[in-house]
Amino acid sequence: MAHQDKQVSVRRSLGVRIWAWWSKMRQKSLEAPPQKRVAIVGSPNVGKSLIFNRLTGIYVTVSNYPGTTVEVFRGRTYIDGVLYEIVDTPGMYSLLPSSEEERVARRLLMEERPDVVVHVVDAKNLERMLPLTLQLIEADFSLVLALNMMDEAKKAGVQIDTELLTNILCVPVVPVVATTGQGIEQLRRVIHEVAQGSPTYAI
Amino acid sequence: MKSPKAPPLMRYDPKLEEAIAGIEECLQSSYGISKRAIALLLLQGDREIEKLVEAKEGKKAADAVRKIVREVRAGGERSPLYRITTARRRLSEYIVSKVVEQSAPKPKTFSDRLSDWLIHPLWGSLFLLALLYFGFYQFVGVFAAGTLVEFLEDTIFGNYIIPPVERFFNWLIPWAWLRDLFVGDYGIFTLGIRYAIALLLPIVTAFFLVFSLVEDSGYFPRLALLIDRLFKGVGLSGKAVIPMVLGFGCDTMATLVTRILETRRERIIATLLLALAVPCSAQLGVMMATVSKVKGGILIWALFVLIVFLLVGFLTAKLFPGEPPRFFIEVVPLRLPRLENVLVKTWTRLQWYLLEVTPLFILASVLIWLGRITHLFDLVIAALSVPVQWIGLPKEIAKVILFGFFRRDYGAAGLLDMVEKGTIDGIDLITTAIILTLFVPCIAQFLMMVREQGWRVALAIFSFILPFAFLCGFTARHLLLWLNQFGLI
Repeated sequence: MAHQDKQVSVRRSLGVRIWAWWSKMRQKSLEAPPQKRVAIVGSPNVGKSLIFNRLTGIYVTVSNYPGTTVEVFRGRTYIDGVLYEIVDTPGMYSLLPSSEEERVARRLLMEERPDVVVHVVDAKNLERMLPLTLQLIEADFSLVLALNMMDEAKKAGVQIDTELLTNILCVPVVPVVATTGQGIEQLRRVIHEVAQGSPTYAI
Repeated sequence: MKSPKAPPLMRYDPKLEEAIAGIEECLQSSYGISKRAIALLLLQGDREIEKLVEAKEGKKAADAVRKIVREVRAGGERSPLYRITTARRRLSEYIVSKVVEQSAPKPKTFSDRLSDWLIHPLWGSLFLLALLYFGFYQFVGVFAAGTLVEFLEDTIFGNYIIPPVERFFNWLIPWAWLRDLFVGDYGIFTLGIRYAIALLLPIVTAFFLVFSLVEDSGYFPRLALLIDRLFKGVGLSGKAVIPMVLGFGCDTMATLVTRILETRRERIIATLLLALAVPCSAQLGVMMATVSKVKGGILIWALFVLIVFLLVGFLTAKLFPGEPPRFFIEVVPLRLPRLENVLVKTWTRLQWYLLEVTPLFILASVLIWLGRITHLFDLVIAALSVPVQWIGLPKEIAKVILFGFFRRDYGAAGLLDMVEKGTIDGIDLITTAIILTLFVPCIAQFLMMVREQGWRVALAIFSFILPFAFLCGFTARHLLLWLNQFGLI
């Protein structure tokens, strides 16, 4: 488990501010700057924050409810000795923003140039989610596609040939169940591979 | 960035591709995303990107780009936005047809049927009432605010904590004026800590528990669908239910979440309504608990606040002209909440609440102590007594209102304290609860309003709410007294 960086600025009340300041001070004395940056993107309510929690061990309020993350959350984690900064973004449907939260997410992608972008999608509704995947590929990000809620998809009778999908998109595809943590280890490995520039998915 | 291996996956129609190539040639700087993506955004009419290109490439290149975009717009029978979106959707459909295998659609599951019931106007409303009654009234109002609070307040604090603390300070500090800071009528221990731990903590814990449970089940988006009509009436889109419902969790957070609303008009209305008529969970729990002490009080209180909410929403919507908002919400699947997640969430919220509230309550004790030494306190109380007595409430209430300035729930705790001591009657209790509910909730929310909408709007909202809350209290009290004559309540 990595050290934690709480830049939680949702409620700027006195108590929280003192707490944030304290965590930051503690952090500073402990850590080097992160070497790689990973952004988690996807449409609202697909489990981005939960995956963020699973990757970093930091708790961000997660709801079964769209639109809960409006600001950007950051956390850190070590994978194989490399320090990663993980960024959780507000939900976006498309690179073309139609609300303030989508604008925030896009600005972050353009200005911070993450080394890896993890696109989290709801495996049950792949068809509605793929247009954003296509746009992220077009935009030239080093992409990882995380098929979340695989358990619900299975229950709904949806079967996905992840290998074929990987070959079509030329993007590594990782099936995960964020609520139970299934597939998170593999996701970490793939993020690391992509960040190091040696993704094994290449044909 | 990405390895050049990736084949060009997505192709658009020849005219678009030509335009993309043309625009790409005009772009020299780097944008953090590919030039192709920038070109596509420009073709879809993205203003922000247009400005960015003009800033980075200069006016000449930007004009050249604009010319290309105009030509494409004029050329096709459909807008580039439509053509681009359609092409992407087609490819997505194609890919899905290759990789996804859907076994025969199952008959409607129980979860589907339940979901239908929940958004049905009649069954849905009945469910909502049942949830409010059992989940919130019985569990939070009666159990937590009655049984638990009594136990903590009388048994734990009354017998085991306050007496030794008082003895300790009596021994430690010989001067009464200084001792008052810690154990006086408004002391840090006797008021601040006692309110936070004995009165508010059990209520808030119970409330957060129920709230997290309901939240994780996926009920809220259905609630949004159910009351969409209500909201349309007051000029808000169904999407605005999200900040409103979140407001019942934390208004400060919800004020931030108003960002998901599309127009400034909706955002201002939502911000006002949040500040005025949506008590946050902590406050809601305490308010409910307080008004529950009178028979039927919770109903009168809720009805009155709801009417104010609708009225103000409706009038503001009329005042801020704009196009009627569209309804849009993602309905998530119903899920059985996982106990672990619910507990973690409740715990996080509690932690946040205590961190937020305790320092503020201690600060309040210190300020009141200072105020009493300098006699400023008496002055403020005297000033507050004017509207309080105009409404017809006993003078004592001025203190509660003063507490309410720090936080709504602090005021409510003061009120609950009075109820426990039996120094307030039913109508006065409900009236004060209504005034407190309509107050600006807390300093944090006010600051968030400033941050999101600017000083002007925030101050305007604040100076509207203050007299308005008193006016509503006046109306409510006289209405209740009048009804009382006929023995209706």
